[in-house]
Amino acid sequence: MPKGFFTDTSICIGCKACEVACKQWNQLPEDGFFFSGMSYDNTMQLDASTWRHVSFIERPVALSGQDAGAFSWLMSSDVCKHCQRAGCLENCPTGAIIRTEFDTVYVQPDICNGCGYCVVGCPFGVINRREEDGRAWKCTLCYDRLTDGMTPACAKACPTASIQFGELEDLHRDAHARVERLQAAGVKEAYLYGVDKDNQPGTEGLNAFFLLLDQPEVYNLPPDPVVPTKKAAESWRAMFYTALGAAAVAMAAVIATRGERAR
Amino acid sequence: MSDGRNIDSRLGTLSGEGSQQRGATEVVPWKALDTSGYGVPGDRTYYDRPVIKKSVWSWDIPAYYYVGGATGSAMALGAAATLINRDRLSRLVLQSRVVGLAGSMVSAYFLVHDLGRPERFLNMMRVFRPTSPMSVGAWILFFFSGSAGVAAISQLGPRWIRRIGDASAVISGVFGLGLSGYTGVLVSNTTVPVWQRPHRLMPALFLSSGVSGAASVFDLLGGNPREQRAVLLFGTAGKLAELSFAYLMERSVATVPEAARPLEDGLSGFLWKASKVLTAASLLIALVPNSSARVRRISGVLGSLGSLCTRFGVHYAGQRSAMNPRATFQQQRGGQGAYAVTGRAAVTGPGDARAVLE
Ligand code: SF4
Repeated sequence: MPKGFFTDTSICIGCKACEVACKQWNQLPEDGFFFSGMSYDNTMQLDASTWRHVSFIERPVALSGQDAGAFSWLMSSDVCKHCQRAGCLENCPTGAIIRTEFDTVYVQPDICNGCGYCVVGCPFGVINRREEDGRAWKCTLCYDRLTDGMTPACAKACPTASIQFGELEDLHRDAHARVERLQAAGVKEAYLYGVDKDNQPGTEGLNAFFLLLDQPEVYNLPPDPVVPTKKAAESWRAMFYTALGAAAVAMAAVIATRGERAR
Repeated sequence: MSDGRNIDSRLGTLSGEGSQQRGATEVVPWKALDTSGYGVPGDRTYYDRPVIKKSVWSWDIPAYYYVGGATGSAMALGAAATLINRDRLSRLVLQSRVVGLAGSMVSAYFLVHDLGRPERFLNMMRVFRPTSPMSVGAWILFFFSGSAGVAAISQLGPRWIRRIGDASAVISGVFGLGLSGYTGVLVSNTTVPVWQRPHRLMPALFLSSGVSGAASVFDLLGGNPREQRAVLLFGTAGKLAELSFAYLMERSVATVPEAARPLEDGLSGFLWKASKVLTAASLLIALVPNSSARVRRISGVLGSLGSLCTRFGVHYAGQRSAMNPRATFQQQRGGQGAYAVTGRAAVTGPGDARAVLE
């Protein structure tokens, strides 16, 4: 049964319990301690050893329905999207990246040889190669916990149910209902990002999708992501015709040497 | 399990998914809050942080693009010579096979050396994944090196073995064109703005740069007048094509100025411009009539440098382009994301608002 995350950013309080729970459960190493100066976000990005990342957006405008002056704060817990058409998986030349029985995308650490092609294949900048380790790492959607019938660590730790885990079908239903409720309550900005193929044709839908309150760019999400492989057929065709041309030129160049004049 | 204390020591064993990674101490430099341009779609970013990751490839990879490209195309010319005018072009045939063998070994070295886990390079051969240009390329290189190796080594054997070598050289020439061009498919099959946009032109650029590089190698090695004539024709076509495709590619990227910047300034812009100047110079010098061996060698040096600069320019432009979130955002808002492929853009706001106005 397809499983996924529905991250409802309208109720994220920026506590970073998900980040901590993820690091703890997966025993991920620290990635350096420093002060970023980016609001409360000192994590800054998803990376090989950061599989949940809470972003903090300070806006000089209010959310509709708020009357606290020209300010609003958006928080969002970002994660690997476990795309239906996953750039990382389709680019992986070793078969290390697989789709699991839960319809999630998983990197097998015992196969990965660190070629780095998944890194540039991901439209969301999620997966990365860890320098000292040499392999690519990303969120596993707690594959180990799922096999034991447990909830992923981040969703378990989230105190506001901003991160919801479950069957994709149920999540879709809940998410649409949630948008309707928010709209009815006057939060006119609410919409779903990447919920299905119609919503995001380039990835054909994300198993980890989001409810957002502003344009995707604000959360550092691409507005119209596309899995690179969708364009590969055209590239191959272009290569094929150029190769035909090159072969013809090579033949012509050699045929031109057959006359006696060249002596 | 007990060691005397009332504690299960197994609980202290690190066995989680990420526990094999070691800690890092590298400090990522912080960036000040950027409040400029707020509210303009396509110009809003998250503290100017990159939205995608830049490639982790070192200079091994663009060096491989060059070596693989020149080697593959050299073998293609060698194969044509083997087929059509074997006896009068014997030196060129021999040269192409030695270049093919040596080049495929150097190529393999660069590829393995750049892996995060070089000892696992054979994992590339455990599957064939047609969706991954890297997988296709690994197999192309595998068959190319095999056939080029047989073609070269057979030259030492008796006549009937040399026959097998000739057949092998022709096969290797076909794979050689693949080796020369697939790297262009590989770089454009990514999300990096300056690489992904010209996805039809990149393979053509890489392949013609490979042809120009191969001709330059033959110019450096030298040959008899017939061979020189073949190389001149081959190289002229390659260099002309390289210059034209570079121009077209630049134009296609420049439709979003933010994405084109790496081709204009900085190290990548310098390399990119240098590649055009060097290739053009090599082309003109090669066309001097009745030129001496020395002049041809100069043309060979310039052509090789031009071909190298093309690959390094494209590589470093991509690295910079990946770090610029505006390049990605503006391309996708400008209809160069999923919209260009599926004809439908993604939802980016309430009421089914799409990333691109339809
Ligand atoms: S978000 Fe990136 S890393 Fe995650 S499945 Fe999609 S392509 Fe792969």
